[in-house]
Amino acid sequence: MTTQGVYDIVIIGGGPGGVAAGVYAARKQMKAVIITDRFGGQSTVSASIENWIGEVSIKGTELAEKLEKHIRAQEGDIEIMHPHRAEGVVANDDGTFAVTIDDGTVYTTKIVLVVTGGRHRHLNVPGEEKFKGRGVVYCSTCDAPMFRDKDTAVVGAGNSGLEAVEDLLPWAKHITLISNNDKITGDPVTFERIMASGKVDVLYNALTTEIIGDMMVTGLKYKDSVTGEEKELATQGVFVEIGVVPNTEIVKDLVATDDYGHIIVDYKNGATSVPGIFAAGDVTQQIYRQNNIAAGDAIKATLAAYDMVRTQ
Amino acid sequence: MNVTVYSTPTCPYCDMAKKFLDDNNVTYTSYDVSTDQAKAEEMVQKSGQMGVPVIVVEKDGSEEVIVGFDQGKLTSLLGL
Repeated sequence: MTTQGVYDIVIIGGGPGGVAAGVYAARKQMKAVIITDRFGGQSTVSASIENWIGEVSIKGTELAEKLEKHIRAQEGDIEIMHPHRAEGVVANDDGTFAVTIDDGTVYTTKIVLVVTGGRHRHLNVPGEEKFKGRGVVYCSTCDAPMFRDKDTAVVGAGNSGLEAVEDLLPWAKHITLISNNDKITGDPVTFERIMASGKVDVLYNALTTEIIGDMMVTGLKYKDSVTGEEKELATQGVFVEIGVVPNTEIVKDLVATDDYGHIIVDYKNGATSVPGIFAAGDVTQQIYRQNNIAAGDAIKATLAAYDMVRTQ
Repeated sequence: MNVTVYSTPTCPYCDMAKKFLDDNNVTYTSYDVSTDQAKAEEMVQKSGQMGVPVIVVEKDGSEEVIVGFDQGKLTSLLGL
Protein backbone atom coordinates (compact mmCIF):
# COMPACT_ATOMS: atom_id res chain seq x y z
CA MET A 1 0.00 0.00 0.00
CA THR A 2 1.30 3.44 -0.87
CA THR A 3 0.36 6.31 1.39
CA GLN A 4 -1.24 9.52 0.24
CA GLY A 5 0.99 12.37 -0.83
CA VAL A 6 4.70 12.95 -0.47
CA TYR A 7 6.13 13.21 3.04
CA ASP A 8 8.66 15.85 3.94
CA ILE A 9 10.54 13.53 6.28
CA VAL A 10 10.53 9.88 7.30
CA ILE A 11 12.38 9.32 10.59
CA ILE A 12 13.65 5.77 11.08
CA GLY A 13 14.42 4.99 14.72
CA GLY A 14 12.94 5.66 18.16
CA GLY A 15 15.94 6.33 20.37
CA PRO A 16 16.78 9.79 21.72
CA GLY A 17 17.81 10.86 18.20
CA GLY A 18 14.61 9.73 16.52
CA VAL A 19 12.36 11.22 19.17
CA ALA A 20 14.22 14.55 19.19
CA ALA A 21 13.94 14.69 15.40
CA GLY A 22 10.26 13.82 15.57
CA VAL A 23 9.48 16.58 18.06
CA TYR A 24 11.28 19.15 15.92
CA ALA A 25 9.74 17.94 12.66
CA ALA A 26 6.27 18.11 14.22
CA ARG A 27 6.84 21.61 15.56
CA LYS A 28 8.08 22.73 12.16
CA GLN A 29 4.83 21.28 10.78
CA MET A 30 6.65 19.07 8.35
CA LYS A 31 4.59 16.21 6.92
CA ALA A 32 6.37 13.63 9.00
CA VAL A 33 6.28 10.04 10.18
CA ILE A 34 8.48 8.25 12.72
CA ILE A 35 8.93 4.50 12.38
CA THR A 36 10.23 2.43 15.27
CA ASP A 37 9.69 -0.96 16.84
CA ARG A 38 10.67 0.40 20.25
CA PHE A 39 11.18 3.73 21.95
CA GLY A 40 14.17 4.48 24.14
CA GLY A 41 17.26 3.33 22.28
CA GLN A 42 20.17 1.32 23.59
CA SER A 43 20.26 2.83 27.07
CA THR A 44 16.81 1.42 27.83
CA VAL A 45 18.65 -1.46 29.51
CA SER A 46 20.65 0.84 31.80
CA ALA A 47 19.81 0.55 35.48
CA SER A 48 20.62 4.21 35.94
CA ILE A 49 21.52 7.01 33.52
CA GLU A 50 23.22 9.92 35.23
CA ASN A 51 24.20 12.09 32.29
CA TRP A 52 20.92 12.77 30.49
CA ILE A 53 20.84 16.51 30.91
CA GLY A 54 17.96 17.70 33.05
CA GLU A 55 17.71 14.43 34.97
CA VAL A 56 20.10 13.80 37.87
CA SER A 57 19.42 10.09 37.58
CA ILE A 58 16.89 8.15 35.57
CA LYS A 59 16.28 4.47 34.85
CA GLY A 60 16.68 3.47 31.21
CA THR A 61 13.08 2.28 31.04
CA GLU A 62 11.85 5.58 32.52
CA LEU A 63 13.80 7.56 29.95
CA ALA A 64 12.24 5.37 27.26
CA GLU A 65 8.77 6.15 28.64
CA LYS A 66 9.48 9.86 28.78
CA LEU A 67 10.76 9.88 25.22
CA GLU A 68 7.64 8.09 24.03
CA LYS A 69 5.43 10.48 26.00
CA HIS A 70 7.15 13.48 24.45
CA ILE A 71 6.66 12.28 20.88
CA ARG A 72 3.08 11.17 21.63
CA ALA A 73 2.35 14.73 22.74
CA GLN A 74 3.10 15.79 19.15
CA GLU A 75 0.86 13.11 17.60
CA GLY A 76 -1.35 14.74 15.02
CA ASP A 77 1.55 16.86 13.85
CA ILE A 78 3.53 13.69 13.27
CA GLU A 79 2.42 10.16 12.45
CA ILE A 80 3.78 7.51 14.79
CA MET A 81 4.25 4.05 13.34
CA HIS A 82 4.98 1.93 16.42
CA PRO A 83 5.67 -0.92 16.83
CA HIS A 84 6.84 -1.11 13.24
CA ARG A 85 10.09 -1.71 11.47
CA ALA A 86 11.36 0.01 8.33
CA GLU A 87 12.50 -2.65 5.90
CA GLY A 88 13.79 -0.87 2.82
CA VAL A 89 14.75 2.49 1.38
CA VAL A 90 14.83 3.01 -2.39
CA ALA A 91 15.90 6.17 -4.24
CA ASN A 92 13.28 7.16 -6.81
CA ASP A 93 14.19 8.78 -10.15
CA ASP A 94 12.58 12.09 -9.19
CA GLY A 95 14.82 12.60 -6.15
CA THR A 96 12.29 11.32 -3.62
CA PHE A 97 12.66 8.10 -1.64
CA ALA A 98 10.36 5.15 -1.01
CA VAL A 99 10.49 3.74 2.51
CA THR A 100 8.77 0.37 2.97
CA ILE A 101 7.77 -0.85 6.43
CA ASP A 102 6.93 -4.28 7.82
CA ASP A 103 3.18 -4.11 7.12
CA GLY A 104 3.86 -3.34 3.46
CA THR A 105 3.08 0.37 3.63
CA VAL A 106 5.28 2.48 1.36
CA TYR A 107 6.04 6.09 2.27
CA THR A 108 7.19 8.44 -0.47
CA THR A 109 9.34 11.16 1.05
CA LYS A 110 11.67 14.03 0.26
CA ILE A 111 13.91 13.33 3.25
CA VAL A 112 14.96 10.17 5.07
CA LEU A 113 16.54 10.59 8.50
CA VAL A 114 18.40 7.47 9.62
CA VAL A 115 18.62 7.34 13.42
CA THR A 116 18.74 3.59 13.79
CA GLY A 117 21.51 3.47 16.41
CA GLY A 118 23.58 0.39 17.07
CA ARG A 119 23.29 -3.09 18.47
CA HIS A 120 25.45 -5.59 20.28
CA ARG A 121 28.42 -6.74 18.27
CA HIS A 122 28.40 -10.51 17.90
CA LEU A 123 31.47 -12.73 17.97
CA ASN A 124 30.50 -14.27 14.64
CA VAL A 125 31.92 -17.64 15.59
CA PRO A 126 30.41 -21.10 15.11
CA GLY A 127 27.85 -21.98 17.77
CA GLU A 128 27.04 -18.41 18.74
CA GLU A 129 23.76 -18.16 16.87
CA LYS A 130 22.77 -21.74 17.76
CA PHE A 131 23.21 -21.12 21.50
CA LYS A 132 21.75 -17.62 21.64
CA GLY A 133 19.50 -17.68 24.72
CA ARG A 134 20.86 -21.14 25.52
CA GLY A 135 23.86 -19.86 27.38
CA VAL A 136 24.92 -17.11 24.97
CA VAL A 137 23.72 -13.82 26.46
CA TYR A 138 23.66 -10.25 25.17
CA CYS A 139 21.69 -8.62 28.02
CA SER A 140 23.63 -9.33 31.20
CA THR A 141 21.34 -7.30 33.45
CA CYS A 142 18.36 -9.31 32.17
CA ASP A 143 19.73 -12.82 32.23
CA ALA A 144 22.48 -12.93 34.88
CA PRO A 145 20.07 -14.34 37.52
CA MET A 146 19.59 -17.42 35.33
CA PHE A 147 23.21 -18.39 36.02
CA ARG A 148 22.91 -19.08 39.71
CA ASP A 149 25.80 -21.31 40.89
CA LYS A 150 27.05 -21.73 37.34
CA ASP A 151 30.41 -21.28 35.70
CA THR A 152 30.27 -18.34 33.35
CA ALA A 153 32.46 -16.39 30.96
CA VAL A 154 32.33 -12.77 29.85
CA VAL A 155 33.92 -12.02 26.50
CA GLY A 156 35.16 -8.43 26.34
CA ALA A 157 37.14 -6.43 28.88
CA GLY A 158 35.81 -2.94 28.25
CA ASN A 159 33.35 -1.21 30.57
CA SER A 160 30.37 -3.19 29.34
CA GLY A 161 32.29 -6.44 29.91
CA LEU A 162 33.16 -5.39 33.46
CA GLU A 163 29.54 -4.41 34.07
CA ALA A 164 28.42 -7.85 32.90
CA VAL A 165 30.81 -9.36 35.46
CA GLU A 166 29.25 -7.14 38.13
CA ASP A 167 25.78 -8.29 37.06
CA LEU A 168 26.92 -11.90 37.43
CA LEU A 169 28.71 -11.57 40.78
CA PRO A 170 25.63 -12.08 42.99
CA TRP A 171 24.62 -15.22 41.08
CA ALA A 172 27.39 -17.08 39.31
CA LYS A 173 29.74 -19.55 40.98
CA HIS A 174 32.68 -18.36 38.95
CA ILE A 175 33.32 -15.87 36.16
CA THR A 176 36.11 -15.96 33.59
CA LEU A 177 36.71 -12.55 32.05
CA ILE A 178 38.15 -12.90 28.57
CA SER A 179 40.27 -10.17 26.99
CA ASN A 180 41.43 -10.56 23.40
CA ASN A 181 44.66 -8.70 24.19
CA ASP A 182 46.88 -8.14 27.22
CA LYS A 183 44.78 -5.31 28.67
CA ILE A 184 41.63 -4.49 30.56
CA THR A 185 40.20 -1.43 28.83
CA GLY A 186 37.35 -0.85 31.29
CA ASP A 187 37.65 1.41 34.33
CA PRO A 188 40.41 0.29 36.75
CA VAL A 189 38.15 1.03 39.74
CA THR A 190 35.50 -1.40 38.50
CA PHE A 191 38.15 -3.98 37.64
CA GLU A 192 39.64 -3.82 41.15
CA ARG A 193 36.18 -4.18 42.66
CA ILE A 194 35.32 -7.30 40.68
CA MET A 195 38.73 -8.89 41.30
CA ALA A 196 38.29 -8.34 45.04
CA SER A 197 35.27 -10.65 44.91
CA GLY A 198 37.53 -13.68 44.57
CA LYS A 199 35.14 -15.15 42.00
CA VAL A 200 36.79 -13.81 38.87
CA ASP A 201 39.72 -15.01 36.78
CA VAL A 202 41.04 -13.23 33.72
CA LEU A 203 42.14 -14.86 30.48
CA TYR A 204 44.34 -12.51 28.49
CA ASN A 205 45.18 -12.77 24.78
CA ALA A 206 42.32 -15.18 24.24
CA LEU A 207 40.46 -15.11 20.94
CA THR A 208 37.13 -16.89 21.22
CA THR A 209 36.78 -19.20 18.22
CA GLU A 210 33.72 -21.35 18.93
CA ILE A 211 30.86 -21.85 21.36
CA ILE A 212 30.18 -25.49 22.10
CA GLY A 213 27.38 -27.44 23.77
CA ASP A 214 24.52 -29.85 23.20
CA MET A 215 21.12 -28.43 24.23
CA MET A 216 22.77 -25.62 26.21
CA VAL A 217 26.27 -24.16 26.22
CA THR A 218 28.91 -26.36 27.83
CA GLY A 219 32.02 -24.41 26.90
CA LEU A 220 33.95 -22.30 24.48
CA LYS A 221 37.07 -22.74 22.42
CA TYR A 222 39.70 -20.06 22.22
CA LYS A 223 43.09 -19.46 20.73
CA ASP A 224 45.91 -18.07 22.81
CA SER A 225 47.19 -15.33 20.53
CA VAL A 226 50.68 -15.41 22.09
CA THR A 227 51.37 -19.14 21.94
CA GLY A 228 48.96 -19.95 19.13
CA GLU A 229 47.57 -22.79 21.24
CA GLU A 230 43.93 -23.83 20.89
CA LYS A 231 42.27 -24.32 24.24
CA GLU A 232 38.88 -25.05 25.74
CA LEU A 233 37.10 -23.49 28.67
CA ALA A 234 34.19 -25.25 30.36
CA THR A 235 31.40 -22.74 30.95
CA GLN A 236 27.61 -22.70 31.00
CA GLY A 237 27.25 -19.06 30.10
CA VAL A 238 28.95 -16.87 27.51
CA PHE A 239 28.17 -13.17 27.96
CA VAL A 240 29.20 -11.28 24.84
CA GLU A 241 30.21 -7.67 25.48
CA ILE A 242 32.50 -6.68 22.62
CA GLY A 243 31.02 -3.39 21.57
CA VAL A 244 28.38 -2.13 19.21
CA VAL A 245 27.76 -2.28 15.46
CA PRO A 246 25.79 0.40 13.62
CA ASN A 247 22.36 -0.52 12.25
CA THR A 248 23.04 0.60 8.69
CA GLU A 249 21.50 -2.32 6.79
CA ILE A 250 18.52 -0.34 5.58
CA VAL A 251 20.61 2.20 3.64
CA LYS A 252 23.92 0.39 3.21
CA ASP A 253 23.60 0.15 -0.56
CA LEU A 254 22.74 3.84 -0.87
CA VAL A 255 25.01 5.93 1.36
CA ALA A 256 28.76 5.99 1.91
CA THR A 257 30.06 4.34 5.08
CA ASP A 258 33.50 4.24 6.70
CA ASP A 259 35.68 1.18 7.31
CA TYR A 260 33.67 0.28 10.40
CA GLY A 261 30.32 0.55 8.63
CA HIS A 262 29.32 3.86 10.18
CA ILE A 263 27.49 6.31 7.93
CA ILE A 264 29.71 9.19 6.83
CA VAL A 265 28.00 12.50 7.59
CA ASP A 266 28.75 16.20 7.31
CA TYR A 267 29.24 17.30 10.94
CA LYS A 268 27.48 20.61 10.20
CA ASN A 269 24.12 19.14 9.23
CA GLY A 270 24.09 15.34 9.25
CA ALA A 271 23.95 15.13 5.44
CA THR A 272 25.10 11.79 3.99
CA SER A 273 26.63 11.16 0.56
CA VAL A 274 23.10 11.08 -0.90
CA PRO A 275 21.23 14.41 -1.01
CA GLY A 276 18.00 13.96 0.94
CA ILE A 277 19.28 11.20 3.23
CA PHE A 278 20.44 12.44 6.62
CA ALA A 279 21.78 10.45 9.57
CA ALA A 280 22.54 11.10 13.23
CA GLY A 281 23.58 9.35 16.42
CA ASP A 282 25.33 6.00 16.85
CA VAL A 283 24.69 4.91 13.29
CA THR A 284 27.05 7.65 12.09
CA GLN A 285 30.84 7.96 12.32
CA GLN A 286 30.48 10.54 15.09
CA ILE A 287 32.83 9.32 17.82
CA TYR A 288 31.04 9.81 21.15
CA ARG A 289 28.09 7.47 21.53
CA GLN A 290 25.88 9.43 23.84
CA ASN A 291 22.13 10.02 24.20
CA ASN A 292 22.56 13.79 24.35
CA ILE A 293 24.71 13.84 21.25
CA ALA A 294 22.31 11.63 19.32
CA ALA A 295 19.48 14.02 20.23
CA GLY A 296 21.47 17.13 19.33
CA ASP A 297 22.79 15.75 16.05
CA ALA A 298 19.34 14.52 15.06
CA ILE A 299 17.86 17.96 15.74
CA LYS A 300 20.60 19.54 13.65
CA ALA A 301 19.82 17.15 10.80
CA THR A 302 16.07 17.79 11.10
CA LEU A 303 16.54 21.56 10.91
CA ALA A 304 18.83 21.13 7.90
CA ALA A 305 16.21 18.87 6.32
CA TYR A 306 13.55 21.49 7.04
CA ASP A 307 15.63 24.16 5.31
CA MET A 308 16.17 21.86 2.34
CA VAL A 309 12.46 21.08 1.97
CA ARG A 310 11.44 24.71 2.39
CA THR A 311 13.82 26.02 -0.26
CA GLN A 312 13.07 23.32 -2.83
CA MET B 1 -7.09 -16.80 28.24
CA ASN B 2 -4.16 -17.12 30.64
CA VAL B 3 -1.07 -14.98 30.43
CA THR B 4 2.13 -15.88 32.28
CA VAL B 5 5.25 -13.73 32.51
CA TYR B 6 8.59 -15.23 33.53
CA SER B 7 11.00 -12.47 34.47
CA THR B 8 13.92 -11.32 36.61
CA PRO B 9 13.80 -8.19 38.79
CA THR B 10 16.75 -6.57 37.00
CA CYS B 11 15.48 -6.98 33.46
CA PRO B 12 14.26 -3.75 31.83
CA TYR B 13 12.42 -5.52 29.01
CA CYS B 14 10.53 -7.52 31.63
CA ASP B 15 9.41 -4.27 33.26
CA MET B 16 8.39 -2.89 29.88
CA ALA B 17 6.44 -6.03 29.02
CA LYS B 18 4.58 -5.98 32.34
CA LYS B 19 3.85 -2.29 32.04
CA PHE B 20 2.49 -2.88 28.55
CA LEU B 21 0.18 -5.60 29.90
CA ASP B 22 -0.86 -3.37 32.82
CA ASP B 23 -1.57 -0.44 30.52
CA ASN B 24 -3.79 -2.67 28.42
CA ASN B 25 -5.61 -4.13 31.45
CA VAL B 26 -4.34 -7.62 30.78
CA THR B 27 -4.18 -9.73 33.94
CA TYR B 28 -1.25 -12.11 34.15
CA THR B 29 0.66 -14.35 36.54
CA SER B 30 4.23 -13.24 37.11
CA TYR B 31 7.08 -15.49 38.20
CA ASP B 32 10.47 -14.25 39.36
CA VAL B 33 12.80 -16.88 37.91
CA SER B 34 15.78 -15.48 39.82
CA THR B 35 14.27 -16.84 43.06
CA ASP B 36 11.89 -19.54 41.85
CA GLN B 37 14.07 -22.37 40.57
CA ALA B 38 11.14 -24.60 39.61
CA LYS B 39 9.59 -21.84 37.49
CA ALA B 40 12.99 -21.10 35.96
CA GLU B 41 13.18 -24.72 34.81
CA GLU B 42 9.60 -24.57 33.55
CA MET B 43 10.45 -21.45 31.56
CA VAL B 44 13.49 -23.13 29.98
CA GLN B 45 11.43 -26.21 29.20
CA LYS B 46 8.59 -24.18 27.59
CA SER B 47 10.78 -21.79 25.61
CA GLY B 48 13.83 -23.97 24.97
CA GLN B 49 16.08 -21.15 26.12
CA MET B 50 17.11 -19.15 29.18
CA GLY B 51 16.57 -15.50 28.20
CA VAL B 52 13.93 -13.36 29.90
CA PRO B 53 11.23 -12.22 29.61
CA VAL B 54 9.26 -15.22 28.42
CA ILE B 55 5.55 -14.62 28.00
CA VAL B 56 3.18 -17.54 27.62
CA VAL B 57 -0.30 -16.91 26.26
CA GLU B 58 -2.68 -19.82 26.75
CA LYS B 59 -5.72 -19.49 24.54
CA ASP B 60 -8.29 -22.03 23.37
CA GLY B 61 -6.25 -24.88 24.81
CA SER B 62 -3.04 -24.05 23.00
CA GLU B 63 0.04 -22.23 24.21
CA GLU B 64 1.99 -19.53 22.44
CA VAL B 65 5.44 -18.77 23.81
CA ILE B 66 6.98 -15.37 23.18
CA VAL B 67 10.65 -14.85 23.96
CA GLY B 68 11.54 -11.22 24.68
CA PHE B 69 9.25 -8.19 24.73
CA ASP B 70 7.78 -8.34 21.23
CA GLN B 71 5.04 -5.73 21.40
CA GLY B 72 3.76 -6.40 17.90
CA LYS B 73 3.36 -10.12 18.53
CA LEU B 74 1.78 -9.56 21.95
CA THR B 75 -0.68 -7.05 20.49
CA SER B 76 -1.87 -9.46 17.83
CA LEU B 77 -1.94 -12.53 20.14
CA LEU B 78 -3.94 -10.70 22.79
CA GLY B 79 -6.19 -9.03 20.24
CA LEU B 80 -5.43 -5.55 21.57
